[in-house]
Amino acid sequence: MKAFLNILNVNAFTAFIFLAGISSYSLAGAALPAPVELQVIDTPNDGGGSLTAIWAPSPADTADAQYQVLLGEAGTDPASLKVIAEFPANARYVKDAKGAWWTRPAERSWHHYVIRNGKGVDLKDGTLYAVTVAMRRGEERVVGPLLQATPSPNWFNWSQVNNLILALGFGALVFYTISHAKRNNIFLRRIPGLDAVDEAIGRATELGKPILYLTGAHDMGDPSTIAAAVILGRVAKRTAAYETELMVPHREPITMAVCQEITKQAYLEAGKPDLFKEDSNFFITSDQFSYTAAVDGIMLRKKPAANFFMGSYFAESLLLTETGASTGAIQIAGTDSDHQLPFFVTTCDYTLIGEELYAASAYLSKEPVQIGTLRGQDMGKAVILSVILIGTLLATVGVATGGSWPQLFLDFFKDLK
Amino acid sequence: MIFLRRRLPLLITMITGLLFAGQYYVPHPSSELLLTSATKWLQIIGGFALVLGITSLFHQHAVKIRRQEAGWGYSFVLYAGVFVTVAAGIFARGKESFEGAMTGFGWVYSFMLVPLQGTMFAILAFFIASAAYRSFRARSREAAVLLVAAVIVMMGRVPLGEYLMPLSGDVSQWILNVLNASVRRAILIGVSLGAIALSLKIIFGVERSYLGGGKE
Amino acid sequence: MTLSERMLKIDRRIIFLVIGLCTLLPLLYPVGLPIKISPEVRSIYDYIESLPERSVFLLSIDFDPASKPELHPQAIALLRHAFRKNLRVVAMTLWVSGTGMADQLLTQVAKEMGKEDGKDYVFLGWSSGGTAVIINMGQDLYKAFPSDYGGKATKGIPVLEGVLSLKDVAYAISLGAGNPGVEAWYVFGKDKYKFELGGGCTGVIAPGLYPLLRSGQINGLIGGLRGAAEYESLVGHKGRAVAGMDAQSATHFAIIVLVAMCNLFYFSLRQQQGRSRELPVKRGH
Repeated sequence: MKAFLNILNVNAFTAFIFLAGISSYSLAGAALPAPVELQVIDTPNDGGGSLTAIWAPSPADTADAQYQVLLGEAGTDPASLKVIAEFPANARYVKDAKGAWWTRPAERSWHHYVIRNGKGVDLKDGTLYAVTVAMRRGEERVVGPLLQATPSPNWFNWSQVNNLILALGFGALVFYTISHAKRNNIFLRRIPGLDAVDEAIGRATELGKPILYLTGAHDMGDPSTIAAAVILGRVAKRTAAYETELMVPHREPITMAVCQEITKQAYLEAGKPDLFKEDSNFFITSDQFSYTAAVDGIMLRKKPAANFFMGSYFAESLLLTETGASTGAIQIAGTDSDHQLPFFVTTCDYTLIGEELYAASAYLSKEPVQIGTLRGQDMGKAVILSVILIGTLLATVGVATGGSWPQLFLDFFKDLK
Repeated sequence: MIFLRRRLPLLITMITGLLFAGQYYVPHPSSELLLTSATKWLQIIGGFALVLGITSLFHQHAVKIRRQEAGWGYSFVLYAGVFVTVAAGIFARGKESFEGAMTGFGWVYSFMLVPLQGTMFAILAFFIASAAYRSFRARSREAAVLLVAAVIVMMGRVPLGEYLMPLSGDVSQWILNVLNASVRRAILIGVSLGAIALSLKIIFGVERSYLGGGKE
Repeated sequence: MTLSERMLKIDRRIIFLVIGLCTLLPLLYPVGLPIKISPEVRSIYDYIESLPERSVFLLSIDFDPASKPELHPQAIALLRHAFRKNLRVVAMTLWVSGTGMADQLLTQVAKEMGKEDGKDYVFLGWSSGGTAVIINMGQDLYKAFPSDYGGKATKGIPVLEGVLSLKDVAYAISLGAGNPGVEAWYVFGKDKYKFELGGGCTGVIAPGLYPLLRSGQINGLIGGLRGAAEYESLVGHKGRAVAGMDAQSATHFAIIVLVAMCNLFYFSLRQQQGRSRELPVKRGH
């Protein structure tokens, strides 16, 4: 019995020493471990001037310890390396960095620091640098191995490969639907605003009054102006056929030049080239309110029977449409400027909202290219809706279960540069 | 001629379109340099386009004066305005003030442009009221919902409304942050898809109406 | 014509007169009701408060005199705040017709706050190209603006020390009345060069920028005269925006009353028309 108790005493004493040893490691800090498995690489997917240091986590990663990142030119004395960053040892993990899973440089639990130019750091592409990471707690400090790397620019940003795949996918979808539309008939729902185009032109012809057509505030580089120019072609063809006067004041000289060509061609196709007037398309000014004042003046003097507002608009929209409404004209608007939609909806007889403007050119022309594009856009929207539904479900499951596997799907649809 | 008017512009459009679409995915400094150079060229071409616009403007008003059409006197006002402002701007080297004193150009800017632009923008307040009076009628269920939302937001966005009905501020914030933001996002997604599709068609020459001329 | 029909077809000029009086009278006889601060305006204020002294603050004054009533008070309040925090203010504009106004406003506030041109602030002026300017500034600020608005070379100005491009800007705010504006600064600026961005805009554009605010693409939004009044209250220097809120309150209420009246007359007319359609049937009995 005494021998047994002696053993217990010895074992208890040993256990006490063991526990004291562990606690003294964590409390008083036995030898600090150097950063383990340190790697220094040229930061991927960037334009150069940057290096990335990654290293494995350590049991000593606590808030009272710090990591220091040291940088210097290769070949210089290691003691002269400069501390360029210092942060708590329980910070800066791969999982905290904003990046896609397919471009992660290491495990999520690893440490990760990106050395960039600015604030005392000036990395030059093609120059070899020496980098290391040190761990510090109070006065104690241990430095990791000295590694060398060269920053250099990359030719492709792999973080954006999802963006590229989605863009190419959507492009391929649009071209497929265009070729499908060339072979088959595709149903297009009626857009009331477009049915009113004929009615408006007919009304203007009966009253013997002109038609006013505006192409918006943006230049030819904007899709809404292009859509407005396309619809102008169709409207000009009908005004040519009915022999109604068409007035198209412009804010942009290049748009004016393009619309002039479009109108001329429309009159030619309608078989009335002699009715085409060079000055039916005219430039007023680029200034927003000067243009608005001029167009308001035209509306009040010439009293057009139909006003078309197609394209992008800003604050001038209500000034134009309210003045047009006061002259009793029938007004049809089509814009992708969502902030002006309330004004158009309130003051116009028909409004084409957002992409209905782009759909308008398809509806009027009945061309397979235009209709196929619409179908492609609709399918794109269906894909986005599905992604939103599935993504919401997966994100909820991820949060509820604490798992990170939903990120495999969700990251693909994120903008991660 | 067909090559210069149709094929060459389409080729230029395709090459530059694909180049700058690809540029987005290339972080290399030479790609950024390409973008910066192209934007500088855009600025230069924009300057030439202004000359085109002014020429068209002068021509149009010259015709109006020659034919003595209705309002042709205002065309003289336009010519006078342009020449006086340009002369004042050249004389003052484009500066509105010099050593604390206002230049002639600054006078034209502060006492003509600023009040005229302010006046035009101020008209909006009156037009909104008359448009609202004419159109904000509960003709249907949807119109009634629109009306109620408009009244709540109008009340919630001003101190008097929040004072009389404190809840209107929070409800209008919710309408803006939740209902409005979600609907705007939906319109934005639709418009963006439309813009991408149209841009792709232009790059690959499927859409050619912007060139003018008929179908080949 | 019945009263309802007459009221529904009322001359617009009477409505204009009502609105005119509702705007003018509160400006002459202000009331001064308290203004509740919205989270989107507060977040801009808090962010500027958190910036260390001598941080670079870029203010892009992207509006012309037409939007002066709404955006000018925003600019003044932001500049007062930035100067009070001793930030290095770099101002510029993407709208040519706003250049003179931007220069006047910056000079006025700087003089009031005792700040020195070149040392505490610089006005870069305007450069043609719109969004191209943002891209060029993102690459090399000195190539985009070789000289400031006064003609001094930008390289070597003390206030721009250490600033090579937009990547060195601590915080940028675009006060936009249209395009180019806040969206352009995000797409061609923050998205590429990764600086923090806030926005200010007219009341009409504000609802359209909420998606950018909700997704964190901009960290705050000062919307219209109301936003300007909130910011003036936060900065503790009430100006024209706060004064304008009384007029805005009166005008909003006038519109609400007008809309209520028009609906009243509309339903009354519909009822009358409904009754007059029924009458011939009743006479038949």
